[in-house]
Amino acid sequence: MGNETQGSVSSKRILLALEGVSRIYGEEVPIHALRDISLGICAGEFLSIVGPSGSGKSTMLGLLGVLDLPSTGVIRIRDVDITKLGDPERSQLRGESIGFVFQQFHLIPHLTALGNVETALLYRGLPRRHRRDRAMGALRQVGLEHRHDHRPIQMSGGEQQRTAIARAIVTEPDVILADEPTGALDTSNALNVMEIFAGLRSSERAICIVTHDLDVAGLTDRRISMRDGRIERDEAAAVPR
Amino acid sequence: MRRILDLLGVAVSGLTARKIRTVLILLGPILGVAAIVAAIGINESSKGDLKAKLRELGTDLIVANAQDQIGGFGGDPRIPADAANRVSRLPDVTSVSGTHQLSNIVTLPFEEAYNYYRAFPVPVIATDLNLPETLDVPIVSGRFLNRFDVTTGARVAVIGRDLADEYGYLSGELRTIELGGKHYGVVGVLDYVLLEPSMDSAVFITFANAIADWEEEEADPSRLYIRAPTNTRYVAQEIPTVVSLGGPDGANTNVPTDLLDAQSQVDENLNNLTKLMGGLALIVGGVGIANVMSISVIQRSSEIGIRRALGHKRGTIASQFLIEALAVGVIGGFLGAGVGAGVVWMVSEVRDYTMVLSISGLFRWSLVSVGVAIVAGLYPSTKAARLEPLETLRLG
Repeated sequence: MGNETQGSVSSKRILLALEGVSRIYGEEVPIHALRDISLGICAGEFLSIVGPSGSGKSTMLGLLGVLDLPSTGVIRIRDVDITKLGDPERSQLRGESIGFVFQQFHLIPHLTALGNVETALLYRGLPRRHRRDRAMGALRQVGLEHRHDHRPIQMSGGEQQRTAIARAIVTEPDVILADEPTGALDTSNALNVMEIFAGLRSSERAICIVTHDLDVAGLTDRRISMRDGRIERDEAAAVPR
Repeated sequence: MRRILDLLGVAVSGLTARKIRTVLILLGPILGVAAIVAAIGINESSKGDLKAKLRELGTDLIVANAQDQIGGFGGDPRIPADAANRVSRLPDVTSVSGTHQLSNIVTLPFEEAYNYYRAFPVPVIATDLNLPETLDVPIVSGRFLNRFDVTTGARVAVIGRDLADEYGYLSGELRTIELGGKHYGVVGVLDYVLLEPSMDSAVFITFANAIADWEEEEADPSRLYIRAPTNTRYVAQEIPTVVSLGGPDGANTNVPTDLLDAQSQVDENLNNLTKLMGGLALIVGGVGIANVMSISVIQRSSEIGIRRALGHKRGTIASQFLIEALAVGVIGGFLGAGVGAGVVWMVSEVRDYTMVLSISGLFRWSLVSVGVAIVAGLYPSTKAARLEPLETLRLG
């Protein structure tokens, strides 16, 4: 299933690993959202998780993002088994290691673009000026420096998503998890966003995009196809991009 | 410290982002505190004149009246001079003055007024030299009686302020008045004596003159005024014993300001009822805070989910909402105190009251508002902290 791919990346540093992970919802009528998944995400990877609705990709995203815990199995981030951590430690690990980008952008409406990006740096003991400088740097990286004082309602969908990307990268996380990042955008903005993701690739970081859009998945180096809570295929692009 | 500053910043930004909602939440504590402060303030201010008078008079003056221990009628009980000396040596007593009102003396400012002043006699009071000091009343013109007047037996008098007005006495004027046909030089005017208004239209002479001109046998007063700033009531209880020492002489004592004090306290029950009603208003305000904030938690569930996804801990989310509630309590409490104080000032102006407002009371009720807001914020903040980010973000 995915063993070949896992084998091929084993020489790289594994940032995030799922080992025999299952996720079952409900007690009286159990629903198996994920069944015995094993997966490794390495530094430098640009991968996508694809599958139809109900295939378990959102559940996978929740687990990869430490927003949820598996029913069985182990999830490791930086070699730490997160299933053994309490909520405060998991939250801290999430804040330090994962950057999220959501389909609906999920920006805080009453904050400016700069304020939204800065939110990711709160409670880290950083002086305000330092926080602002970093947030402004992240906005510059996505080409939105000039819109830093605009609220989400004053920005286009593409700009909102780029702000969300700036928020995801400002903490310099190990893994960026993007949930249908182009789902609410037109083709032009979608391409622009995917170009930004491609430009964010580095040897220290992995980018994982969850999507049902095969065209979007086609832009990534590794594609993990899911069906009925299992990994159906885990394949590398013929020519790595 | 930075963490607290971050929390404050997020809470303030949360409150300012939704101004109408914030104003609605603030109304609870504002109205509650304003109602209590206004009701208590108006109640207190309506008694403000009495309280001001009490403050002016002090509550440490004791009056001791001579009393015949046997309880006979028609006698002329006195407090012997040596008993008065004993009273003055009590440790808590700072000043003592003895007086005795003489009877059957017709006082005339001028001859033509004989019939009027015979019908309405002016009190003539023999006094020692400490009276202004003990009563804490100044001389508004001239001087009070002194040791020279006593030793020489000079016929001099000090008059009360009302009497001075009635006589048309001018400050520094050389003037005599006639006491039972004997002329006394007026040497001074005593200011108003709030506790003994009868003294305002009295004539004061020395005991030496009383003995020489009016058949007094000894300089024994029938009344003592005693100033005891500490343990006033204890001293008042002890004086009869100190005066009598088991002998026939006796005295009963009272603290004249007690009556005023009682008058100013009569509405304590009303105050308590007001506090109870205000407390209920604050609790209703607290329920309002809990209610609106709970709705706000639902409305802001997406924001909470984002913050959790960004690594903010449950405790941080709870603190954020709790600080918002705290800010509502602080702002609402102090604004309410201000509004209440304004209402008290307005009513005092309209009704011509002496405005009475306790700053510590304003502060105390503001703090109660803060407490209510914190308790009210506990439920919504716990609810916010318990939200699962996965449920609020609606992935996929």
